[in-house]
Amino acid sequence: MLRKYPTKLLWWVYFVSMGLSLLLHPWLLRSEILHHHYSFQYLPEFFAAFGLVGCMLLILVAKGVGFFISKDEDYYEKRSEK
Amino acid sequence: MVQWIHPGLVILLGGLLIPFIPWRRVKLAYFLLLPLLGLGVLVLTSMGYFGPLPAESESLHKWQLPFLQYTLTLVRINKLSMLFGYIYVIAAFCMNVYALRVKNDWEHVVAMVYVGSALCAVFSGDLFTLFFSLEMMSWAPFFLILFRGTKKSLGAAIRYVIWHHFSGVCILAGILMHVHGTGSIEFTRMPWGWGGEHLAYNLMLLGFIVNSATTPFHSWLSDTYSEATPSGSIYMTAFTTKTAVFCLIMTFSGVELLMWLGAIQAVTAALLAVLENDGRRLLSYHIISQVGYMVAAVGIGTPLAINGAASHAACHILYKALLYMGAGCALVVVGTAKFDKLGGLYKYMPIAFWLYMIGGLSISGFPLFSGFVSKSMTIEAAEMMHSPIIYLLLEGAAVGTFLHTGLKLPWNIWLQGRDEPSPEIRARLKDSALNTPVTMLIAMGILAALCVLIGVYPKVLYDMLPHPVEFVPFTTTRIFSAMQLFIFTFLGFWLLRKMVRGHASYTLDTDWLVRIPGMMLVRFCKEPLMDFASALDRGLMRTVSAVSRVGSNPFTAPRLFGRTLLLHAEKSVGTLLGRKYAERRSMSDALLENLRATPYDENRYRRPIGGVAALALLLLSLWAVVNFWA
Repeated sequence: MLRKYPTKLLWWVYFVSMGLSLLLHPWLLRSEILHHHYSFQYLPEFFAAFGLVGCMLLILVAKGVGFFISKDEDYYEKRSEK
Repeated sequence: MVQWIHPGLVILLGGLLIPFIPWRRVKLAYFLLLPLLGLGVLVLTSMGYFGPLPAESESLHKWQLPFLQYTLTLVRINKLSMLFGYIYVIAAFCMNVYALRVKNDWEHVVAMVYVGSALCAVFSGDLFTLFFSLEMMSWAPFFLILFRGTKKSLGAAIRYVIWHHFSGVCILAGILMHVHGTGSIEFTRMPWGWGGEHLAYNLMLLGFIVNSATTPFHSWLSDTYSEATPSGSIYMTAFTTKTAVFCLIMTFSGVELLMWLGAIQAVTAALLAVLENDGRRLLSYHIISQVGYMVAAVGIGTPLAINGAASHAACHILYKALLYMGAGCALVVVGTAKFDKLGGLYKYMPIAFWLYMIGGLSISGFPLFSGFVSKSMTIEAAEMMHSPIIYLLLEGAAVGTFLHTGLKLPWNIWLQGRDEPSPEIRARLKDSALNTPVTMLIAMGILAALCVLIGVYPKVLYDMLPHPVEFVPFTTTRIFSAMQLFIFTFLGFWLLRKMVRGHASYTLDTDWLVRIPGMMLVRFCKEPLMDFASALDRGLMRTVSAVSRVGSNPFTAPRLFGRTLLLHAEKSVGTLLGRKYAERRSMSDALLENLRATPYDENRYRRPIGGVAALALLLLSLWAVVNFWA
């Protein structure tokens, strides 16, 4: 029995949890439920921004670096045959 | 009563018998039994069957043997070695289940030698035993890579051995200098510092960080693990780097340099993984990244951090084996783990996908999965150091980990927004949701269950840690920030998903700095050096033949030499004057031939030399007589 990936269901779960997390964070901060070590962690939606920016930055920086270090699959084989 | 049964030796020596069992079913049962025997010994030890276990931070020494002027302690049991021992045998059992369908008995033998020697290393109580175990360990993966049988794997196997012999030599040099200086061979905390007086410890540290794949010495791992056999690579994910972490905890905890190296290692590997097209190479980078957390925790060195390093090593062995098994399923079933060829496999391998996802969520540190309860310990320890840079580096690496192992890899192998794989991949799949061999799924299932168990009920793990645990992982702050981090990492991934799609490419790494000079050296040896050698050879042969000619008749040699010179001079003058010397030349040639052929006649100069000597004697006598009278 072949089933497809449950795309729709997972998108629903995703958007609901995303909305909830965005709404909850300022409230959790105001009611002093969250306890962090650094002041920057208390910025509203800090972790959301860190996740989004960090992820995009990783991909973009790596792609930039990849311009120099991404080579043919047989890079070393060709080099050693020369 | 028996002092102790060494689980490492049981597995190592027991493994050697595997090829000699004639019945296949018995052989496989025996193969599965070996790690269970090891587990049984450890359980008996925990229950106090071999004598009461020591209290926190103390050790039990057994199997002491005199060796030269030292006493070897083959076995030292403490909480840390018991934790690593348990995880090693449990992981080995699951890996053996996964490897059941492998036909090559020698692969099983090598794997068991690997597991056994890793156990010997974590239970060793002195530096000599440790070194011996580490050396034995460094050979097993050589064969696990070699058995893949491709040209690439042969190269990778040789590179693996070269790297590990480099680290082995560093460790040995450090040990010998340390033993020479202090006279102690105890495997315990070492002093560390910069400068010549700490050379022994710096060498030892260098050896351990090469083994733990710490930046900039990390590239051997991604280079070689991805070339091993599908089931052989699973063993390799667990033992070498984690044994190195164990050694670092025992010897160099609290060395600040390690904190920085580890944090940089965690981020660098997460960054390089973006460019990877091969599933197993991507996962290799995440071994490096996760070991970075452990190395950083060892560097922080507080009891919380050491607990973090030990627990993370334990969790890591379980979930990384699970992840590698997931990627290995694709490799075994459709013959490749390259992203540009895969995608759309979900319909045909859904169970492997969901089990893999449990590993993916564990390594990312999702609440209720194993990585969360260990990684949060390390991050908490980093936060307590009041070093925001370390904290941000480790948190950034966590984003990268989820991006790759939780999103990029499963998306590229199983999904890519397609329901069907490409036609040539589809041709290798049956019309069933069960394309993956069942033994593989069972192995993955056991590991996934353990990941969830530790994630939901971390007390099982925390009770085994070397220091008492007061840490509570499940706080609102931690759960909420982790969830928010991952939700938005997903958003970033989804926006840039086209950029992380696979392309057939190979990413250069720091090993380029060694491999290219190495290739140049080989080429230099092959061509210029060989040319020089043969030129030298020719010159030598010519000299020898000239000397032998002179030696064969020393009397004619000066004339021969003079004639030859004269001939050359005549020829040159003749050319200048435009005359033909062909006739004369042939005469000279005949003369030279004649001279050459003249044999040595020992009587020929006897009379003249005798005459000259007699004359000289006569003159001297006369001179003496004249002087006497004067």
